[in-house]
This record gives sequence, structure tokens and C-alpha cells, in this order.
Amino acid sequence: MSSGRDVAISIRNFVKRFGDIVAVRGLNLDIYDREIFGLLGPNGSGKSTTMLTIATVYRPTEGDIYVYGKSVSRESDEVRKYVGIAFQEPKAMWIDKPIEILTWHARVIGYSMSDARRVVREVMEMLDLWEQRNKMFSELSGGTRKKVEVAKVLIQRPRVAIFDEPTAQLDVIAKHIVWKAIKELSREGSTVIVATNEMYEAEALSERIGIIYKGELKGLGTPAELKDKIPGGDIIEIHIEGSLDPLTKQMLAEKLGAYKIDHNNGLIRIYVDKGEEKITPAIEMLSNKVKIKMISMKEPSLDDVFMFFTGARLGE
Amino acid sequence: MRDDLRLLYLLIVYDIHKIMRYKVFILMRVAWFSVQVGFFAYLISHIVGQRFGGELTYYHFYLLGAYTSILFTVSMFRGYETAQEFEEGLIEYMLSLPIKRKILAIGRILGGSIASFILTLPMMLIVLFLLGAFDLFSISLAMASAMIFSIGIVSLSISLVFLIKSGDATDITFGILDSLLVRLSTVFYPAIILLSFIPYYYVSSVNPLSYLADFLRWIFYPQELSKYLINNPMNLAFFIIGFATSMLVLATIFIEKKIEGGGWK
Repeated sequence: MSSGRDVAISIRNFVKRFGDIVAVRGLNLDIYDREIFGLLGPNGSGKSTTMLTIATVYRPTEGDIYVYGKSVSRESDEVRKYVGIAFQEPKAMWIDKPIEILTWHARVIGYSMSDARRVVREVMEMLDLWEQRNKMFSELSGGTRKKVEVAKVLIQRPRVAIFDEPTAQLDVIAKHIVWKAIKELSREGSTVIVATNEMYEAEALSERIGIIYKGELKGLGTPAELKDKIPGGDIIEIHIEGSLDPLTKQMLAEKLGAYKIDHNNGLIRIYVDKGEEKITPAIEMLSNKVKIKMISMKEPSLDDVFMFFTGARLGE
Repeated sequence: MRDDLRLLYLLIVYDIHKIMRYKVFILMRVAWFSVQVGFFAYLISHIVGQRFGGELTYYHFYLLGAYTSILFTVSMFRGYETAQEFEEGLIEYMLSLPIKRKILAIGRILGGSIASFILTLPMMLIVLFLLGAFDLFSISLAMASAMIFSIGIVSLSISLVFLIKSGDATDITFGILDSLLVRLSTVFYPAIILLSFIPYYYVSSVNPLSYLADFLRWIFYPQELSKYLINNPMNLAFFIIGFATSMLVLATIFIEKKIEGGGWK
């Protein structure tokens, strides 16, 4: 138990090396039962290596990962019963058909032939794949191939569902269909891990986010918690008539604990922590001095959060 | 146990399904083999007959050797297939499935062997037709021995892929093995002739291809070809079974160790 929630996956001092290359460096992380956990990081940050090790495709070089108490190093057969993974690159022979790929997958997972046919059809229809069921895999677009890969996990409905960049190459409508399916999976009881390098995907899906960069965990928390960790990350914007005298500005800064106050052309920008708690005191102070036209608050984006924790932009 | 058998069956289905995608390849192979055994084999047998007299019907000898050769090549090709799976990342998918590593290794070996046998079945039937061999017991025994031999070769080829890991090195190794093992055997040359070249003879006498080719000769021509065999029929049979069993066990242990330790990467 941790933070009052059951731990589904416990990553302890996990190191993975490929020859001289260190892909993951001493990762420690708990992922809670039934949560949707976002692993955010650029390509080559160690996300996929971590997920593939949870799925027992790789073995830790040092440390260990426990899935519902079972070690990926010593009890991999048991771990695989819990885990399903949709790979970053769709895995299928190029001359197979989606219906064959998914039916075989369903049979391996344990469905009878009749159940496999039924479930495969349901999932393919949900992902708008049914019409393309008999096309060669090589004839499918990148987005459709990706949906076939995601369909494997949706058919499997495992206790731990791993999605590696599940909506890469998908159009906006397809992205929302996949997100809805992932959320549904979580509601049904699966613990979901989503690796992504897209901020809005991490925010749209995840209850908690782990920021991973160069094989190290740089930040961890809910999107709101991560944003709150940026000093002065919230910006209160106040449009006023007239100007703000220096004394009021100084008092405002002291009372709100502001990191910085900019004032330009009737717009005051106050950089604070926990901005939502500071709006009322700001209004109380300013209402006697100036006429307030409009107040708004801007939170930092996840991009800002990533920048804050890693010193790099996601595209770098 | 029941679940393991179910998964074993599905892995075998996977490999059999794979060969069905090579329809053109199979047709080409069958066509070329037909020309080889229907025309060139006849021609070379005629030449050998003129040179050595009528004691040995080389045509009978050659046809069963030719089938052994094609079965060996096709079984080795399973290794190429596995190497291709590495490149396409399918190995990662296989490793993520809820299948025990041992079952995965055995399943892929058996699946590859059965698929190889099915792929060469048309060639075997052509040979049997040309030889006029229609005895059901003999045909069943030939099929069983071909199947067992294929298990040994597929075990060897998949192990080599896991050992070498490099696509180019695999190509070279398989090319060398294919050309050397076929030639350093009794596939096309009778043991009695090889005795004139002692090193050649010794290599042939431990080469599994010699044992299958000669065992098939004994099955269909026990009188005519018996004095040209590299060993007695009982030893031939034991060698094939021993080779396949030991290769299957060793390959399973080796592959299981490689994939569990991440050594395939």
C-alpha cells in the first residue's frame, strides 16, 4: 500500500543496459491499481524500455519490477498472465489480414474460437476497423495499423494494459475513439499505462504522470500537482483602467508572495504559486485603487512542466 | 498442461498459416523440382548407368537424395523466417504473449518442422509417383522419418539464428551450411564411392542428411540399394531419432535461455 491505494506495479532501482548504452538509470516508481498512468518523455527517454520490461520482453539489468507482487525477473510466466501490450510499432506479418492477426491473438489469450470471433468483431467495429478486416496488413495506412495494434489489448482486457504511443498517426476522431476505449478499460478494472510524447494526450488520459528523460524519472504527480511544482507557474492576468502605482505593486507582490509582477498597457500579470487561492486577495487589494475590467488565470501547460523538470522541450 | 498443449497447437497453426502465404514460392519450387527429378535426374542417371553399368539404378538413388536435399533446405529456411521476424519486431510480440518460454521454443520448432514437411509434401509425392512406390506402410514410414529429420534441422537453424543474431552473418552461415552439408553427404553420392575419399566419407558418416537419404532408400529399395547405404537400417533410424531428439532438447534449452535473458536483443 502507498498513498492509501493498492500498488499494481512496483518498479525498484530498475536499470536497463544494452551493451554500453544505459536506457534506464535506477528508476523507482509505483503505479496504482486501476489508475491510468501516463509516462511522458521524448523518443529515446526510456519509456518503451520500461514498458517492454514490465511486459517481460526485456529483463532488468539491475533492480526489479513487480506486477501484482510477481517479479518480472523471476516469475515472468506469471507476470505475462496479467499484462497486455500495444507496441509503438504495430507487430504483424505484412501479408496477414487484420481479422487473422486479431483472431489468432484472441485464441492465444484464451478465448474459444466462437468467443474470439465475437470479441474481435466487437472491438474491430468499435475502432472502425471491420470494413478493412480482409485487407493485407501492408495495404493498411499507418493509422489503421496502429488501431490493429491497440485492438489486441482491447480484446485481451488484461489487468495491466500497456499502450506505447497509442494514438501516434491517428486522426483526431480516431484519437478520441481510442482514448474513450482506454478510459473504458480502466473503468472495467484494468491498470493502464500510456507512454506518450504528446502533452495533451498525457493530460487527457492520465490520473498521474511520470516525466521520464534520459532514463531517469524527473517528475511525478497529477497534472495539477506537477503544474503547481513550477515556482510562479500560475499567472493571474488583471485588465485595469489607468495605471498601477509602484507602492501598490510592491504591496501586491508582498501580500500574494508573487515571484514577479509585470504591468503594461493596463494589463497586470502576477506570477504566483497556487493562483486559484490568490485571485480573491488580489481583487480585494486592487478594487480600492483601480477599476478592474477583467480577471483571468493561466496555468502552465504540461509543456512548461516538462521544460521545468527536464530543462528541455519535448521535441528536443 | 492442457493450456500448454493448446498454446503449442496455436503456435504450430501460426507456422503452418505462414507457409500458406508463399503460394507462388511453393509453386515455383514444385515446378523446378519436377523438372529436376523428371528430366535432369533421368539424364544424369543415364550417364551414370553408362559409366558404371546397370547394377545400380542411380535414378532411384538420386530421387530420394533430391527429396532429402529439398527438405533440408526448406527446413533451414525456417531460420531465415525467424531472422525476418527479428527484423519485423515480431519476436517482441511473441515474447509478450502469455506463453511459457519453453512452450514458445518447442512450438516454433515443431510448427516450423510441420510447415517444412507440408511444404515439401508435393515434392515427396512426385518422387514416390516417379518411383512407382505406392506401399502405404513404406510411405508412412518415409513421411515419419522426414518429419523427425525436419525437427532436428529446424532446431539447428533457429538456434543458429539466436546464436548469430546478425542478418548478414546468418545469410552467409546458412549459405555455407546448405552447400556443404548437401555435398558432404550421401545425398547424391553412394557411400561405397565415398570410401575412395576417406575424409569425405567420415564427414558423410556423421552428416544427418546421409542418414535420412539412405534410410529412405532402404525403405523403398531394401534389396537393390542396401549395399550402398552408409550404415545398417537400424542405425540409420536410431541416428535420425537421436539427432532430432537431441537437437530439439538442446535448442529448447538454448532458445529459452536466450530469450529469457534478453540475449536475443
